[in-house]
Amino acid sequence: MNLGNVDIIEAVMDNLPVGVFVKDASDDFRFVVWNKKQEEITQMSAATALGKTDEQLFSKEAAELFRSIDEDVLNSGKLKKIPQESIRTKAGKRYLRTLKLPMNDPTTGRILLVGISEDITESVETQKELERLSERFNATSRELQETQNQLFQAEKLDSIGRLAAGVAHEVKNPLAMLLLGVDYLDGGIAEDDPNIPVILKQMREGVTRADSIVRGLVDFSSQSAIERKKTRIRDVFNSTLLLVKHELVRANVKLRLGIADGLPSVYLDVPKFEQVLINLILNAIQASGEQKKKEITITAQTERLKNVDPDEGARTLRTFRENDLVVVVRIQDNGTGIDPDNIDKIFDPFFTTKATGEGTGLGLSITRKIIELHDGKLQLKNRTDEVTGTIAEITLPTRLGNTANIKSPKSKTEDSD
Amino acid sequence: MPKKILLVDDEAGFTQLLKMNLERSGSYQVRIENDSLKAVETAREFGPDVIILDVVMPGMDGGDVQAALADHPMLRSTPVIMLTALVESSELPSDSVAQAGENIVLPKPVDINLLTRAIEEAIV
Repeated sequence: MNLGNVDIIEAVMDNLPVGVFVKDASDDFRFVVWNKKQEEITQMSAATALGKTDEQLFSKEAAELFRSIDEDVLNSGKLKKIPQESIRTKAGKRYLRTLKLPMNDPTTGRILLVGISEDITESVETQKELERLSERFNATSRELQETQNQLFQAEKLDSIGRLAAGVAHEVKNPLAMLLLGVDYLDGGIAEDDPNIPVILKQMREGVTRADSIVRGLVDFSSQSAIERKKTRIRDVFNSTLLLVKHELVRANVKLRLGIADGLPSVYLDVPKFEQVLINLILNAIQASGEQKKKEITITAQTERLKNVDPDEGARTLRTFRENDLVVVVRIQDNGTGIDPDNIDKIFDPFFTTKATGEGTGLGLSITRKIIELHDGKLQLKNRTDEVTGTIAEITLPTRLGNTANIKSPKSKTEDSD
Repeated sequence: MPKKILLVDDEAGFTQLLKMNLERSGSYQVRIENDSLKAVETAREFGPDVIILDVVMPGMDGGDVQAALADHPMLRSTPVIMLTALVESSELPSDSVAQAGENIVLPKPVDINLLTRAIEEAIV
């Protein structure tokens, strides 16, 4: 098509927002067209570029790459898109998105290579900056996660310190049984002694008991990132109560346990959830104070959520929905309850009513954080029935939330409980 | 006539094994009470020559039981041997056999020979 006016074509070329260049494949790919935008992108004038080859204008590496693409385009006879390539210019590195296509000049019979380049430097650099920022964000987030884990661990070590004497006491009783068994057997064994089977049974039980309590403590002490597995609530209570049993006995607190039958499994990080229960039970023991008949009641049951606060999600990272099936664990003591002046502060980090050196003041804030990592909710309130005291209420979802800390929820072994 | 020993400890397995060990020689007749709240009543009925008391028990602890025994005219003078699995070193006697007031305190796990010696000393 002949527009009949070369000036118009040139004007169009020079006003295009993309770089346009044409190489003559019949003449060593020398440039024959180089528009204004191409001058701007490459920081090279048409006067410099025209009549030259890539090798004369660009680095050897770039020139070789361009040539190979050019040959590829000519051989295939098809248009080729190069999503991103780079050149060095006086103004620095530029990123280009380029289209190359072969063309025959009908008048001269020359084979031409037409290129159209768009300068995408800005968006590539923005992208790179975004990647750098995202990497930094991830690193910071990992660091925070790590710090949080260390904080959890520090608080856990504090509980272990409080439990250690009791746990040792619990281990000493089975050890005492073993020693008595050994003493008996050491005194000579008559074949028909009816005590022998009883003694062996008790010794075996002693070993099992000592083993389970030591293992319980080791499992509880393990430091790891939060990892939730399908768990039966009853099992967590069994392992937890083994660790706090001695504290209850020593404080002369009567424990009433009411775990409903057939509770649905919940997704728990067992050591971290034990940490929560231990913390709340030790608090309840302390709160029982000087009452004559100290009593802690622990219940677990399913409930349907009613009157869900629509703003809940903003604070707890998860929105409980109306009518959701949840497992509710309540730990109630019959102490004096929480001072109304303190009720808004109890979850604040470092808030404590205990003497300096007793507790870190982080217990409840960490306990609540762990529950939130389980997509659950922890509330502390005063009892409103005829008895004074505190209720710690844990609400756990029975369906999976969106958090990523669930360990292979679809795995078959997890499901068979 | 075998001496009568009352064993008050909530650990049923432990008391069973201790009874077997003590009765083996034929020198002792052992009665077990696993419920510390019934300790005084059982002691009154049984009339032991010596009472072996665990320190940490649910209901009444060893100290409470001891105080209740002291309130009772018939049991006031019955010697008491305390057994404790408490581990804080301050709570443990420094020697193998130590005197705490008038009572003997032995650590748990207890060596049966040590306990037998303590019983003999207490009864004399």
